[in-house]
Amino acid sequence: MNTQIEISVKINGKQYSAAAEPRLLLSDFLRHELGLTGTHVGCEHGVCGACTVLLNGEAVRSCLMFAVQADGQDLLTVEGLAAANGDLHPLQAAFREAHALQCGFCTPGFLMSLLPFLQDKPDASEEEIRAALSGNLCRCTGYQNIVKAVKMLLEESNSDPA
Amino acid sequence: MKHIDAAGHTRGESQYVDDMPQPVGMLHAAVFTSPVAHGRIISLNLEEAVRCDGVITVLSAKDIPGENQIGALIPDELLLAEHEVHFVGEPVALVLAKSYEQAHRAVAKIQVEIDELPVVTDPRQAFESGAIIGPARTFALGDVDTAWQECAVVVDGQCEIGGQEHLYLETQRCRAIPLEDGVLRLYSSTQSPYAVQKAAARVLGVAHHKIEVDVKRLGGGFGGKEDQATAWSCLTALAAHCTGKAVELVLPRHQDMICTGKRHPYSADFRIGLNQAGKILAYDVKHYQNAGAAADLSPAVLERTLFHSTNAYFIPNVRIFGASCRTNLPPNTAFRGFGGPQGMFVIESAIAKAAEKMNKPREQIQRLNLLRDGDTFPYGQHLDDVRAERTWDEAAQSFDLNKIKQATKTYNDDHFESKKGYAVMPICFGISFTATFLNQAGALVHVYTDGSVSVSTGGIEMGQGLVTNIARIAARAFGISEKRIKVESTNTTRVANMSPSAASATTDLNGHATILAAGQITDRLKSFAANELGLTDKSRLTIVHEKLLDGNRETGWDWQKLVQTAYLNRIDLSAHGFYATPGVWFDKQKEKGNPFAYHVYGAAVFEVTLDCLRGTYEIDSAKIVHDLGRPINKLVDIGQVEGGLAQGLGWMTLEELSFDEQGRFLSNSLASYKVPDAYFMPDDLQVKFLQNVDNPAGPYGAKAVGEPPLMYGIGVFFAIRAAMRAFRPDSDLTFDAPMTPERVLLGLHEQEREVLVTKI
Repeated sequence: MNTQIEISVKINGKQYSAAAEPRLLLSDFLRHELGLTGTHVGCEHGVCGACTVLLNGEAVRSCLMFAVQADGQDLLTVEGLAAANGDLHPLQAAFREAHALQCGFCTPGFLMSLLPFLQDKPDASEEEIRAALSGNLCRCTGYQNIVKAVKMLLEESNSDPA
Repeated sequence: MKHIDAAGHTRGESQYVDDMPQPVGMLHAAVFTSPVAHGRIISLNLEEAVRCDGVITVLSAKDIPGENQIGALIPDELLLAEHEVHFVGEPVALVLAKSYEQAHRAVAKIQVEIDELPVVTDPRQAFESGAIIGPARTFALGDVDTAWQECAVVVDGQCEIGGQEHLYLETQRCRAIPLEDGVLRLYSSTQSPYAVQKAAARVLGVAHHKIEVDVKRLGGGFGGKEDQATAWSCLTALAAHCTGKAVELVLPRHQDMICTGKRHPYSADFRIGLNQAGKILAYDVKHYQNAGAAADLSPAVLERTLFHSTNAYFIPNVRIFGASCRTNLPPNTAFRGFGGPQGMFVIESAIAKAAEKMNKPREQIQRLNLLRDGDTFPYGQHLDDVRAERTWDEAAQSFDLNKIKQATKTYNDDHFESKKGYAVMPICFGISFTATFLNQAGALVHVYTDGSVSVSTGGIEMGQGLVTNIARIAARAFGISEKRIKVESTNTTRVANMSPSAASATTDLNGHATILAAGQITDRLKSFAANELGLTDKSRLTIVHEKLLDGNRETGWDWQKLVQTAYLNRIDLSAHGFYATPGVWFDKQKEKGNPFAYHVYGAAVFEVTLDCLRGTYEIDSAKIVHDLGRPINKLVDIGQVEGGLAQGLGWMTLEELSFDEQGRFLSNSLASYKVPDAYFMPDDLQVKFLQNVDNPAGPYGAKAVGEPPLMYGIGVFFAIRAAMRAFRPDSDLTFDAPMTPERVLLGLHEQEREVLVTKI
């Protein structure tokens, strides 16, 4: 039961090496072993999406993965979203502008679910945005402003000549 | 101004209780709870659990040094069960271990032998056996019994209203840190730091000042952490007290859902009488509240049910009866609306049934009976500045209710297996704690010599935007930039005896207290400056955009200079402000009074499309006209309206609490309890605010916004019902909520019910 397995994971561009019990969840590993507490755990069984992180660019629920499964992989958590100089990522800025957050507990999961979606679908319709969001639960906002934030961001980037 | 925590939230830097760095040697707690809903404890065997890896100790009731009691209103709730258990999930023992996993593994090794007793889950059954909590209450106006004779139509009916799980995304949690001299600091996810402080002191047998409660923010509360955070915080405090170590308790989601109380299910009987024109002459209602196994806040919740039993309508002859019925469910508790929604659901059901019998449009009866200036509520409060008709009419006009009616009819004429329905839902919600003494708040404000400002209040930030509002209010009160304001964590050593952040009144109460504290400091600053500048009339001095003005004339002093010079001249730059809502009172003997500082009004229009073969439905639109007074921050308030609506819609449609006869909660995870997602929300959601309205009772003219919008959600039930009746005009539909697709299907195909039930 107490076997520890050495794992090595790249997170937000930085290499981490640590020992993990085989059944330690990735979410607990991030939060408790590495102190990356921006990843929140809401339902603990893969429904609410609060713990979403990117594994090699794909959104995954870190509460449904063991830490050892991330060995040798590349992770991005919410802490890695903002630029090195501290500037908010445009998605983060859009959430702030549109008041797409209230208690903030679900926010990191929404951002991480949206990141690959927006890369895949830069011209997403509202229907597609809602579908992309439907795997994340927010109990505060009623989702309107989250949808608004995404639409705002898409409009901005589509009108941006660069 | 954006949400003050927006950057922190989006960076993942905002800290919740268990995000703070862990103290060295911190222990983790896990709770063992009763597996049965009612029984006598024969034996509790902790030995195997104590021997588990990493376990430090296992605590039970005998380890409590003070009083084993956490009931706030009525002392009927033990922290840890002693001889009997009264609901599934009642805490019995607490394991402390070096890790979270070890603590939970050990919990599984605890054995309890329980002699099971009969289980009651039905409030009417509890009522009949005399198991009520506190006295039954009756509000009355006019003479109901004789009024029936004047009525052209009298209709009876019954409602079964489901409860609701709060589903705050952050489960209940607390971290306790032992400090010197027997002091404990509790970082608790609570809406009521003082409730935690009082209860923990009682359990440990120490003075209140030995317990410090600190709350930075909550990952959602919605009422679920008003009283129900107390048990978990007290357990954590007990653990830290007994071990001398820092201890953290985080409820797993599954356990949180099983153990904690929810919105109260209600069962109700109504009788309503109207004249031929549709004017309601009499209304008689009996509410049987399913309080669960302990009082918690149930009597207060019941009281608000009585207050809001006539919603936004004036009815001259009314009798409203209510009883909190003790059952073997977890103690039900506060949830946004606090009993008001259930009271409103029943009157809306009564009106719907009367309209169906009279063959009149439901909204015709609703509109005809709306409150007006000069009317009186059944609880004696006289009304002025009523905005019921105004919000209704603005909604009907700006959203073109006639066109909606016509379009619905046309659609329904053209479609057989798909039907549309619409409904209007007016709301009237009283603002103030109905327990008058709770309508008080304190704020502690410091101005530092660099001109920055620190504000502490008794209010809790739980996502509703309190901190953003307080920062704006403080900046306005001083006449300085919002950037200078920092709102501190809520801490019992800075603000004492605070009321819970509840009743929609947190910004009102704490905002007023902040204005009063800032006013004392600016008053001192102005006296000082007037003296320095050789002015005789300090009342001519104002601070506008950080500049000190004498009338309209610049004095050459800015905020920075004012503060620095005042400091050097030994002027006190700190103040404590205290606010008590004026004019509110209630006489429980007479059941009359003036309990509310003011009321919030609004009206919503809903359209739905029903798939009559499948029972599924889409909410096509939700359009709202809402009264905010002069909003402090529209962005924050619109978020509250939309979020409240989402919860109200969920309560009325998807969110079904399912208990078995043995009192076990079946829909105990997010896999079996559905809440609205982004897809579920109405395709067309519009919120308009009433323009050019004031509210002298609110800070800078604002009205409270937290709870009222939830009750718009009731309208969707009646929109779905209308669509069902378009398919089956002759059917006798029940008033049972939530209106899940299953319930819709069974309602639509009553004749085929037996076939359906066996096939589902």
